[in-house]
Amino acid sequence: MLSPIEKILFAIVAVVSLYLASVTFRRMIRIITRGQGRLSWDRPAGRLMTGIKAVVSQNNMIRNRPFVSLAHTAIAWGFILYVAVNLIDVLEGMVPGFVFPGENAAGRIYRLLVDLMTAAVLAGMVVLLIRRFIVKSRTLDVAPQVKLHPGAVDGIKRDSLIVGFFILGHVGFRLLGASFDIAIHGPDPWQPVAALAAGLLADLEPSFQTAGLHASWWIAVGLVLAFLPWFPYSKHAHLFMGPFNLMTSPDRNSPGAMDALDFEDESIEQFGAGRITDLNRTHITDAFACIMCNRCQDACPAYATGKELSPAALEVNKRYHLRDHMKSLATGGGDEEPLLTYAISESALWACTTCGACTEACPVGNEPMFDILSMRQNQVLMESAFPNELKGAFTGIERNGNPWQMAGDRMEWTEALDFKVPTVAENPDYDVLLWVGCAGAFDPGARDTARAIATVMHRSGIDFAVLGNDESCTGDLARRAGNEYLFSMAAEGNIETLNAAGADRKRIVTGCPHCLHTLKNEYGALGGRYEVMHHTQLIADLRNDGRIAVNGEEGTRATYHDPCYLGRHGGEYEAPREALAAAGPNLVEMARSRNRSFCCGAGGAQVWKEEEEGREAVSDNRFREARETGADTLAVGCPFCARMMNDANKRAGEPMRVRDIAEIVAESMQE
Amino acid sequence: MNIIALVKQTPDTAQLSAAMDGMRLSAEGGPRIVNPWDEYTLETAIQTREEHGGKVTALCLGPPEAADALKTALAMGVDEAILVSDPVMADSDCLTSARILVAAIRRIGAFDLIVGGRAAIDGNTAATAVQIAALLGVPLVSYVADLKSLDPSARTITAVRLLERARETVTSRLPALITVVKEINEPRYPSLIGIRKAARASIPVWKCEDLGLDASAVGAGASKVAWQAELPPIREANVEMIDGGPEDAARILVDRLIEEKVI
Repeated sequence: MLSPIEKILFAIVAVVSLYLASVTFRRMIRIITRGQGRLSWDRPAGRLMTGIKAVVSQNNMIRNRPFVSLAHTAIAWGFILYVAVNLIDVLEGMVPGFVFPGENAAGRIYRLLVDLMTAAVLAGMVVLLIRRFIVKSRTLDVAPQVKLHPGAVDGIKRDSLIVGFFILGHVGFRLLGASFDIAIHGPDPWQPVAALAAGLLADLEPSFQTAGLHASWWIAVGLVLAFLPWFPYSKHAHLFMGPFNLMTSPDRNSPGAMDALDFEDESIEQFGAGRITDLNRTHITDAFACIMCNRCQDACPAYATGKELSPAALEVNKRYHLRDHMKSLATGGGDEEPLLTYAISESALWACTTCGACTEACPVGNEPMFDILSMRQNQVLMESAFPNELKGAFTGIERNGNPWQMAGDRMEWTEALDFKVPTVAENPDYDVLLWVGCAGAFDPGARDTARAIATVMHRSGIDFAVLGNDESCTGDLARRAGNEYLFSMAAEGNIETLNAAGADRKRIVTGCPHCLHTLKNEYGALGGRYEVMHHTQLIADLRNDGRIAVNGEEGTRATYHDPCYLGRHGGEYEAPREALAAAGPNLVEMARSRNRSFCCGAGGAQVWKEEEEGREAVSDNRFREARETGADTLAVGCPFCARMMNDANKRAGEPMRVRDIAEIVAESMQE
Repeated sequence: MNIIALVKQTPDTAQLSAAMDGMRLSAEGGPRIVNPWDEYTLETAIQTREEHGGKVTALCLGPPEAADALKTALAMGVDEAILVSDPVMADSDCLTSARILVAAIRRIGAFDLIVGGRAAIDGNTAATAVQIAALLGVPLVSYVADLKSLDPSARTITAVRLLERARETVTSRLPALITVVKEINEPRYPSLIGIRKAARASIPVWKCEDLGLDASAVGAGASKVAWQAELPPIREANVEMIDGGPEDAARILVDRLIEEKVI
């Protein structure tokens, strides 16, 4: 189709574009490789499938914001097709007489598919542009208290507009080209959309039609060539960096399982992330994969309650910093500025509850929570700059083995029971080890729960034991607060105790999802491998095996608050519901439940410090939602959720009954 | 600024209960910590150095395991740590301890400021630092809650003392000795880098002969004060439930209270 001069011109433009793209893409790759660790690329076939599945299914998108996601799906599917379309168009332009796949049934289907998908892309793009620029959807805004790169607000708009017009232009001119083709060569029933415009072009001079055909080809293909080198500077890079990020993400035992730091190697002088290059490669990739859709921000409990934290803003700020320093970062400089000066504010850093809602919501596999945890490590291990209240909790773990700094007896909670809870020393042949946790041992409310769990186990004839005063804090709060060193010491001590007690050959049951998470998902990397269950899982099992009989009060209504560390981090949503249902009450779900559950506000060491400044307490927000269900009982499965919800309940004048599922079950059990 | 921080290792009284072994730590070693008041000592000394430059030397008198307290001091950020430890020094009273520490301070050399805590939580005499100041012949500013200003060139220090019913602002010349109370600052949590540095540091141990002290001048023999361990008496209590209606129960209760000479 192209004239010889056009062909030469195209070859030159293509070479220049590919060269420039290789420069900018190399920069992006070099910046990623300045990060720590490695991108995961074991079992490449499986990882490739992960990426393909995500792109084709658009599943990560559709689960939230269905309407917008539909528009996105149209564009995404269109673009998958357009990879082939562009290659074919270039071949058809360069190779005389080449028509793919020829005038046959396959050709007709191909033309029809391209024609319809082109229309779908145009429609989808128009929807997204209207949403952003005319409707001005509020979900695309970032609240003013959040630290945001000064160029980001306008930058994102500009970027979106450019991308929008690039897509409209690219796909639109491809369509116009098809229309000119129809005008020149006669009607084609297999391109109904292109035929609409062809009618208008039919009356034009033939020479004008030919010129139009060529111009359309040049604009459609030329836009791709013009855009290619710019990709790494644009958030639109997500279209391949998103799947790339999903494919190269680390395999974690749980979405919240942290990697251990190496304290043995004396040559390591940086712990945690102070600067952007201290982050893991996968977390630098996150910034390039981010399309700035704010889905994580929608899910973030700190953001929802007016704190300075927005996980989206964190990724945006990282990305804009990378963009501002693309060249210097690629050549070994550019990382002098601490992350805390541009990526996130100090208050935001300490506002994170590590609930994992952001990582759960992200369609491209970003993990803003891990950036925050790395930065906290830097603040604690390198700078010793962290909220003062945490010092007491750290000292408590160090000296007393519990964050409350309690010097008391870890068996005191058993005194009110009418049966004896044996320690491992008293009952070395136990079947199940009950890990009581510091809360169960010392917190008055959690002691009730511990007694309820023990009662259920006792009455169902389980041969169990506890570690008593040999038990010590798992170190969850230290780890989540950035004190990895203290965590590693706590873990080491507990692993030794647990192994000495033979717990590595038994089953561990715990009433605390935070203990559950560290024991089950995190101690493994440090050499402690255990089979750990939450008490609701045990209760659900006992019930299914017919080992407990309950006859709870029928007709009461209960709502269940999913603890983040049992739900999102532990993947358990059913067992607590089964256990609760077994005890009688009708379950009424909150709007935000299961993997969308809204944090109680305690996690990530929040319960050990003052809540960061914001519009309201996270716990009040959650409690309001629980109350709106009309249920009389708020069932919980975590001593910290219990405490937060109890406090919120008191502030609201005690309209509800906040109880752990174990207590509800124990009450309803037949003697 | 040459700053000396006086540090003592004490039992963790929060954890001592039945494990108390007289005035000594429990036989198993017991949980020992940096005297909590001395955390403020260290923070004050380190902050002063951060502001005015110079060097902080932490000085501790105690058994060999007291080196752990100095490790904490090093981890927090002091430049040097010296342990004064000799078996013959055991059971020195506060004046004898002050004499030993003064000998150590003289060996360290010129100083501008000595910082101590208001007291040690074990002996709780609050006298050792006072006696050190007297023996050295330097001004003492005790119970400092706020270091208002320190002028190394004019060689003055202005501090606010927290007294029982007042706050007193005092200006003194340097060198001086101050003792601090917990209102003065918020002691830092040692960073991992600090902990590592402390782990690698070697802590010199000075004995009697290093200080030019005769063994007869230290320890219990040279001390005027001796302790006799007295554990608090074990309280015996009985619970007696009184049955019956309110009036009967009240009458029985009153009778019993009169009988026991409570009323």
